[in-house]
Amino acid sequence: MKKAKKTIRYSLLLVLVISILMPNIVDAQDASDGTPILKLQYFNINNSVQYLLLESSTKKNKVFLAQKNISYKVYLDSVSSGNFISEVKTNESGKAKMFIPPNLKSIWDKSSTHLFIVMKGDEQVSSDYSITKARLEIDTATIDDIKNISVKIFKDDNGKLIAAPDIEMKVGIKRLVGILSGGDEETYTSDSTGLVTVPFTKINMPGDSLGNLILIAKIEDNEILGNIIVEKKASWGVPTVAGEDFFSKRELWSTRFRSPYWLLFMAYAIIIGVYSTLIYLILQLIKTIKIGK
Amino acid sequence: MNLVWKIKPRKPNKYYNVENNNPISRDRIINDLVPKRFGKRGMIWTSILIIFCLAGAYAYYRQLTQGLVVTNMRDYVSWGIYISNFVFFVAISLVGSLITAILRLADVHWSTPLTRIAEIIAVSAIVFASLIIIVDMGRPERFMNLFLHGRLQSPIIWDVTVISTYFLISLFLLYLPLLPDLKILILHRKPSVNKFHKLYVFLGSFWKGHKDQFRINDKSINILCVMIIPVAFCIHTVTSWLFATTYRPGWDSTNFGAYFISGAFLVGAGAVVVAMYVFRRYYKLEKYITELHFEKMGKIVVMLGLLYLYFNINEYLIPAFKMKKAEEEHLRELFSGSYAIMFWFAIFVGMLIPIFILITKKGRKPLPMFIAGIMVVVGAWFKRYLIVTPTLLHPFLPMQNVPESYKHYFPSWEEWAIAIGSLAGALLIITFFVRILPIIPIYETIIEQNEESQKDHSL
Amino acid sequence: MSLNNNENNNSRRNFLFGGIAATTAVLTGCLDNSHPFHTEESIALTGEKVKLLSVNGDVIEIDRAFLKPVPDLPTLTNDEERKGIAGKKFVMVIDLARCKNLRKCQSACNHMHQVHPGQNWIKVLGMEDSIHSAPYWQPTTCMHCDEPPCVKVCPVDATFKRQDGIVLIDSDRCIGCRFCMAACPYSTRVFNWEEPQLDPQVAEQHYSCESSMPQKKGTVGKCDFCPDMSRKGELPHCVQACPNGVFMFGDLNEDSVTNGSETFRFSDLIKDKAGYRLMEDLGTKPSVYYLPPVNRNFPYESGLENQTKETK
Repeated sequence: MKKAKKTIRYSLLLVLVISILMPNIVDAQDASDGTPILKLQYFNINNSVQYLLLESSTKKNKVFLAQKNISYKVYLDSVSSGNFISEVKTNESGKAKMFIPPNLKSIWDKSSTHLFIVMKGDEQVSSDYSITKARLEIDTATIDDIKNISVKIFKDDNGKLIAAPDIEMKVGIKRLVGILSGGDEETYTSDSTGLVTVPFTKINMPGDSLGNLILIAKIEDNEILGNIIVEKKASWGVPTVAGEDFFSKRELWSTRFRSPYWLLFMAYAIIIGVYSTLIYLILQLIKTIKIGK
Repeated sequence: MNLVWKIKPRKPNKYYNVENNNPISRDRIINDLVPKRFGKRGMIWTSILIIFCLAGAYAYYRQLTQGLVVTNMRDYVSWGIYISNFVFFVAISLVGSLITAILRLADVHWSTPLTRIAEIIAVSAIVFASLIIIVDMGRPERFMNLFLHGRLQSPIIWDVTVISTYFLISLFLLYLPLLPDLKILILHRKPSVNKFHKLYVFLGSFWKGHKDQFRINDKSINILCVMIIPVAFCIHTVTSWLFATTYRPGWDSTNFGAYFISGAFLVGAGAVVVAMYVFRRYYKLEKYITELHFEKMGKIVVMLGLLYLYFNINEYLIPAFKMKKAEEEHLRELFSGSYAIMFWFAIFVGMLIPIFILITKKGRKPLPMFIAGIMVVVGAWFKRYLIVTPTLLHPFLPMQNVPESYKHYFPSWEEWAIAIGSLAGALLIITFFVRILPIIPIYETIIEQNEESQKDHSL
Repeated sequence: MSLNNNENNNSRRNFLFGGIAATTAVLTGCLDNSHPFHTEESIALTGEKVKLLSVNGDVIEIDRAFLKPVPDLPTLTNDEERKGIAGKKFVMVIDLARCKNLRKCQSACNHMHQVHPGQNWIKVLGMEDSIHSAPYWQPTTCMHCDEPPCVKVCPVDATFKRQDGIVLIDSDRCIGCRFCMAACPYSTRVFNWEEPQLDPQVAEQHYSCESSMPQKKGTVGKCDFCPDMSRKGELPHCVQACPNGVFMFGDLNEDSVTNGSETFRFSDLIKDKAGYRLMEDLGTKPSVYYLPPVNRNFPYESGLENQTKETK
């Protein structure tokens, strides 16, 4: 009981101290533009196209604000004109994208691990983001009537590809924005031989018009390998016929060009009936006028 | 169309002659019935109406510049007194078809002096019904979209169509019986009407009173009388569908069309009674609008009142018997909640008390009739308010995540000014009409007063 | 082919991309999120190529459009916006068991669409169906009904249903009659009672039905399922903003929904968690499904502190 009281007293004191300090902390943050946050990501798409994505923001009172229109220079391995990748400007969502130019080929081929350095003016704002070249392979295999997706991950070791164990990845079907896992797990991890085998459990998934699904393996934000995506088409789905009848539907909610026939018939029958009578009456009035003249 | 040809030629009004044994002479009738100058009271009345109209116009100017934010309508109550006023106008305009067409087709002739009163009420009400609906629009400058992009599935398009059709028919029905009167006015050339001489000539100089002209005109009027009834039913049924086609408690009712039409007949008849009394007093028309007319109209109002009461019981008792979840809160608010006073006011003042007044013979004298008529009209206005607003305050999902002011509704001064201005405007149209044209058909009165002159088409 | 590298060198081409079929897939993968619509006709290509170094150290060419984090999309005509995205049928699942009334969805939506202060396109309602039933938080968006009562009553085709299931509003067409607001049983529509308070930059923007921006005085607005975001391959703002993964968005034709971090097979999710739609008895056939508030992540009470933030 006493202890509890003491705890309450201490916690009250703590609250008091925090509440005194808080405005100062908030003020301090207000005075600056918040904590700048720079995020660099490396992407490898189908073991071919590679690019870097830079994201610049500030964190202020728990709110992230995108930093627009800021110039950055990015270098490969070391800051020198021979290692210059690109100068980029962030867009309105604080992002910038760059490719590695062909003239860096010799540097790129020389090593299996590379460092990316970001300069803002003369200041090095990021110098510790490195990736190791890698290769991700996806294939399908049907063993004993069970469909499997097998994914292999290799990393470059001085020009040789060796298996990369313990790499977490998503393996599944490419869907709107997300990846629907092909098996029962949300993510999979490569074994000592760099292999992931996913028994395909998503039967009868709607595919394209031929029943093809795009299988995808994606390594996200890996600290050694970056982001790697690889895709493969497989005819494991159910053909979906796109509902083409939408634009022929005549419903009450359709547009003015697709009013239901019964409505058109009723409306025009009434309108023609009433207005032909009105026109008849106008003609009669004209007749009356003519008689009077 | 067969129906048209079955209508019998008009007979002299025998009720009329019973009361007035001695027919009034032709000149006397013309003298009594041609439009008169406004007296002092007339000028005051007109000025007051113009002031109200100007106040409404100023309020509308504010609304145009600032947007509908000047009203107190918000996301929940998205329709306020503009719409209830619109429904009121549409309702009152229905009377033209009742007095003119239905009674005419039923071969009832005592109503002849009332036809033009009913028609001008209908025309002015329908004009302001259209105006008030434009006032309610968020983008009135896009009004033409209704015609450029009109969508047949929408009840609003139905409403626009039937209202404009009804307006045309009502104008016709006002104009055609006016032709013989225009000739009288052209020939009359008294100072009180002389300044409108050009207008009369413009409107009716072709009317020579030729036999064929009468024949064609009579036939046209008969056709109009048949046609206006379904169209009149349409305008109010379609107006009721603006509500009944939604899911809202209090609106989601198959009873709505009939409920609205019976209510419209009642308020229209009430308005005619009030107008009868006012014109009779002010223009000394006791010889033309007799106590017999009040007696007859009183009976009609009682009948229509009972009819409307019947539909009201249908409309409220049956949902109240079941008390579905969505309806429950709505009905409780009406019966015993914050809308109870207005609800019971509309029921008692708008229906029950007028019925009790008019059910007695003494109650059907002009003054008690006038009071009952006012009660019917005022009760009807509030009744329309009750149909529109409380429903919107009882949505299916709770009213949350909105400012406190969104959860209530009471019209702002701009809304009141515009609503009152529109009512004043309708009265102003009637007032000017009475100043320019005879409110009681002169020619038909002469015919009915002097049977012998019936065939004298030389007039 | 935008990834046009040395047309006549077939063997090299195959080596690099595994055939033409994969080429499109490569392109679609050029974004940080794999993109559903970025076939080459949906991207405004510049026709200008840039050379770049591939992972294997080869030199390849790619259209300059892909140098942007999100490639520009061609400006859509009003007609295309009214037709919608072919082959899609958007659907949303809202898991009531995960909602604690944080209203991040609401603030993100309000911020991105510059909704008038006090008004909301997404409302998080504190629901209690009857006295003895348990209260829960219910985020309410536009239901994008398949039998939309609002669209039925619109006199000028200002609100319309698209082939992808989305119900949108064309603020250049709307006459402000507010019939749709009366017709909507979910009270989801809001009205711009006065001149909207827009950032100058937004106010100058070209109006688009898909982004519902910039909003206009005297017209109706509502949740639009952010089709502009879908075209860019991103999730609607509310889905992205929710830290608890309450909202899941997807394509019914693909039978899957995602909240960004998790992706579910839609039919399994609805079956396993007994998903339902609001006011099924009205026959509006909403595109928004709810998962009942069972096995909740948060007690109802934890959301109460946000309730007092109600704007006055």
